[in-house]
Amino acid sequence: MRYRIRHITEYKYAGRVSHCYNLAQMTPRSSRRQTCHNSRIDVTPVVAAGSRREDYFGNTAYHFEIQKPHRELVITATSEVETHSQIGDTNLDLGRTCAEARRQMQQARLEEVILAREFQLDSAMVRASAELRDFAADLFTDDRPLLSAVAALTERIYSEFEYSPLATTIATPISEVMKNRKGVCQDFAHVQIGCLRALGFAAKYVSGYLETLPPPGQEKMVGADASHAWLSVFSPGEGWFEFDPTNNCMAGEQHIITAWGRDYYDVTPLKGVIFGGGTDPIMTVSVDVARL
Amino acid sequence: MSGESELNLHYPPLDRAGDDIRDSEGQVLPHWQYVLDSLSALPADALAERQSKALRLLRDDGATYNVYSDDINPPRIWGLDLVPNVISSEEWADIEAGLLERSELLNLLLRDLYGPRTLIRTGVLPPEALFSHRGFLRACQGVRTPGEHELITHAVDMVRGADGNMLVLADRTQCPSGAGYALENRTVMSRTFPSLFRDSHVHRLAAYFQQLRSKLLSLCPNRARPRVAVLTPGPRNETYFEHAYIANYLGFYLVQSDDLIVRNGFLWMKSLDGLNRVDVLLRRVDDWFCDPVELRSDSRLGVPGLLEVVRSGNLVVANPLGSGVLENPVLLKYLPGISKALLGRELRMPTVQTYWCGDEQDKAYVLEHLQEMVIKPINRRPGELSINAGQATAEELDALKARIMQNPLGFVAQPVIGASYIPTLDGAVLTPRPGILRTFTVAGTSSYSVMPGGLTRVGLDEGAFIISSQTGASSKDTWVVASEPERLITNQPAEDQAAREADMINLPSRVLENLYWMGRYAERAEAALRLLRTTHALLNGEEPVTPAMRTYLLRSLSSIAATAVPPLPESDEAMGVLLREGAIPHAIAGVLNSMLFCADEAKELLSSDTYRVINDIRDALPVLNAAPDDYRTADEVIDPLVTALMALSGLNHESMMRGYGWRFMELGRRLERALQSSGMMGELLGPVLAEPEQSRMTEALLLTLEGLISYRRRYGARTAIQTGLDLVMLDTDNPRSLLYQLDQMLIHVRKLPNNKGFLHELPPAERALVSCATHIRLSILSELTADQDGERQGLREAMAALGDNLMQISDMISDRYFDHREESQQLVTARWEGL
Repeated sequence: MRYRIRHITEYKYAGRVSHCYNLAQMTPRSSRRQTCHNSRIDVTPVVAAGSRREDYFGNTAYHFEIQKPHRELVITATSEVETHSQIGDTNLDLGRTCAEARRQMQQARLEEVILAREFQLDSAMVRASAELRDFAADLFTDDRPLLSAVAALTERIYSEFEYSPLATTIATPISEVMKNRKGVCQDFAHVQIGCLRALGFAAKYVSGYLETLPPPGQEKMVGADASHAWLSVFSPGEGWFEFDPTNNCMAGEQHIITAWGRDYYDVTPLKGVIFGGGTDPIMTVSVDVARL
Repeated sequence: MSGESELNLHYPPLDRAGDDIRDSEGQVLPHWQYVLDSLSALPADALAERQSKALRLLRDDGATYNVYSDDINPPRIWGLDLVPNVISSEEWADIEAGLLERSELLNLLLRDLYGPRTLIRTGVLPPEALFSHRGFLRACQGVRTPGEHELITHAVDMVRGADGNMLVLADRTQCPSGAGYALENRTVMSRTFPSLFRDSHVHRLAAYFQQLRSKLLSLCPNRARPRVAVLTPGPRNETYFEHAYIANYLGFYLVQSDDLIVRNGFLWMKSLDGLNRVDVLLRRVDDWFCDPVELRSDSRLGVPGLLEVVRSGNLVVANPLGSGVLENPVLLKYLPGISKALLGRELRMPTVQTYWCGDEQDKAYVLEHLQEMVIKPINRRPGELSINAGQATAEELDALKARIMQNPLGFVAQPVIGASYIPTLDGAVLTPRPGILRTFTVAGTSSYSVMPGGLTRVGLDEGAFIISSQTGASSKDTWVVASEPERLITNQPAEDQAAREADMINLPSRVLENLYWMGRYAERAEAALRLLRTTHALLNGEEPVTPAMRTYLLRSLSSIAATAVPPLPESDEAMGVLLREGAIPHAIAGVLNSMLFCADEAKELLSSDTYRVINDIRDALPVLNAAPDDYRTADEVIDPLVTALMALSGLNHESMMRGYGWRFMELGRRLERALQSSGMMGELLGPVLAEPEQSRMTEALLLTLEGLISYRRRYGARTAIQTGLDLVMLDTDNPRSLLYQLDQMLIHVRKLPNNKGFLHELPPAERALVSCATHIRLSILSELTADQDGERQGLREAMAALGDNLMQISDMISDRYFDHREESQQLVTARWEGL
């Protein structure tokens, strides 16, 4: 599927911002199932110096500084992306068993496996814990194919957690999400990543967009789409597979990848330091995913 | 013991292994023998004398190591033991070769870890060894330093192991500290024992610093004269002394976070004439803290956007950001394999055996032999020390085991290494102390060079386990002694020096601001102390002081020291107590503290003579704050402080270069003196009093403003207001008169850079000053002193107006020339990195 994505982030500040330094991760990366044909980021006010680079994880990072005083910052990322679903007919009930996968992770003879182990370690926002392990352990029996177990965990999170945008912020720790069983896509992805790591598997955090379709008979509203997050799990010898616990599915054509990392912290869409600006800026984000 | 008799520095053979000064047969090594004999030959009290001389030199140089230094606890003087650590040049040649090889290896390792990570891919280094260390900064992937080397400076801690050979304990690779202290130790030792030092043919340290300087300059190949700055966290950092010392020695700017700004993809230093580009940064700020955009978001010590400037090649940071990854102790375990992979051979100098609990076998071994081990957390929190499990209680051992089991990746263990003993003075007795040597290498164009010597630290007692400056260890100079005298190396090409001085006029505006305020606080403290002294003199004088006089004196004092007027006591005696122990001395101490803070911020511009006076003031502060029991007479406290402040003023005047630094300090002094004098004139002479009170008040004012003697000579014994004012307001021959201050300020203000568009229109500060000076100059004394309902309204209003105008002028100067950094904040509030 080919999409045009427009992702607009607006900041309205209470006071004047004299200058600022920002880092945006809003350019869709290319991956095995996705090609980014073109992408641009427009910023107002005008950027004094800007540069684009590939980061440690292979994502595209855009640095920019603004030296013009302003009270409003608008960042518009526009991209054209072609996506495919993951491997055609993955039968989750075949393939590497949990025991086999775990053993191969530990031995790590192949370069691919060695490098995947980075994603099995704790990261800033996701730390493995006994609580997370216990939440998932019964699904990962030795003989069960790993991906089947991951799918079952995806379903468990989907059914046991309530989607509630007001329940958490970006800084809510996983332990609290586990306690309240409420959150948003980012929290669910973190929970599942934490469970997988606690059980000895490697998992990445994937940020991106999800195309949403309007109810039958209605026209799609511009800006109604949202940025989204899911995860990718590593099965030794088989590769990386993306699961979406918010929607209880594997990521498909409608899942457009922006960036991946160990957790949200590695792929924060926009961060930076501003000088001045007063307190409590108002931020609005609108995303529009259009089929081409 | 008589002064003539020789010292008995007998140092008996140790009854255990690890005597640094004897060979295996128990014979004192010849290079040690010479030094110990020379020390023993000193007369008994000479040693104490040299010790106090060394201490004085260190203090005068401002050599401090600030652990927990704050307003109440002054910084600790750097500890130096007078017995050097002596190493023969034959042995040093081996050490040197080992260190060179080690630096080369770490350089290659650093390049691999932030580049292809071949060592990980090929299984030489397990991924967890790298990826679970906080010092591995993914944001630094691919950042390269121009030239052959990534690692510019490297420090190695080592001890002499049981076999007598040096054993490496740890590497310091981010912003290694200690080279400056080593140089200071050397400077002090060579001045304390000039002949011993000369005759011992000690290898000199200068070449190391020259190499460092030329390496830093060479890191920016694109510009004829690159600007290098030393980035310090500021005077509160424990090794700030060294930052200022090295910056000065190398002739580089000393800058703090607020002095720097990223603009248009370059790094700039804010100075009086605008922004100046910085090409190379020698940083003394840890990796994590250098850029709040990409690294620790709550850091106030770095510069937002710095890392991207480095990536773009417009700035070189030494050591490169991310180099803290090499301090990961897990790497020590894998060093033999890494060395074989990168150098094709194992390192010749051994490293302490290191077990990593992330390795199953190692973990089992460590848990079994826990009590023989030193346990080190891999991601150390600030202030966190290694744990000597052998000294732990059973409960502590259980807790430690639980911690290891919980997070095996997070701990390494090393066998307890008994450092060998070095003779150390304890009073006049030599005692054995465990010693550790830190030495330094610096990259050159093709290979590294090693500092011949280094910083030796010795434990506080014989059984000391952790030897670090933070735990209060003392230090020693390290002498690598040659059998032949060394060729002298001249310090620097003269032409280079001149160019540097010309450039140094562009001081960071923060430094100028601190000098300005140092001047203001010094004058404010002096004015308050002088008036305090006058008040004491009146209270203790023959004639009684009336309540009215007391009120006006106290009010004036309170307004100078900026404290609330304390309730007025009934008797003179009670008043005396109030002035000694009450709010006013505290407030004056506060003013002096502020002055000292400004002096520390501008430390690199102050001579060591100046620093000696500053230390005198610092030492006198506790007396001002003293409890009643400690109280000595007022004069004993006040007089030395006033003298010290005047000495400071004189030194600044006589020994500071007439650059902007000096000018701003003078401006601050003149402005503050005018402000305080005019305030006193209004307060003390404003109310109309009956004679003889009136004459006594006038006298008090003249005494405080140092005008009484001139007045007497000119007008005789009777003191009258108008002639008094004539002297302290209008007489431009009197360097303490109001008009003199205003005229001087005008001279300075006219010399400041000014980019106004007009040739003849006066800039705001100058215009305001001309107006003030003219008003005062046009004063008619009879009008000022006319009695209106018991008050001299004219005088009061004139002085109040002058005070207001001076405050405005100060604001104008501050707005125009000093930097006013806005508060910065994160776009997105996040606190995850603290985890």
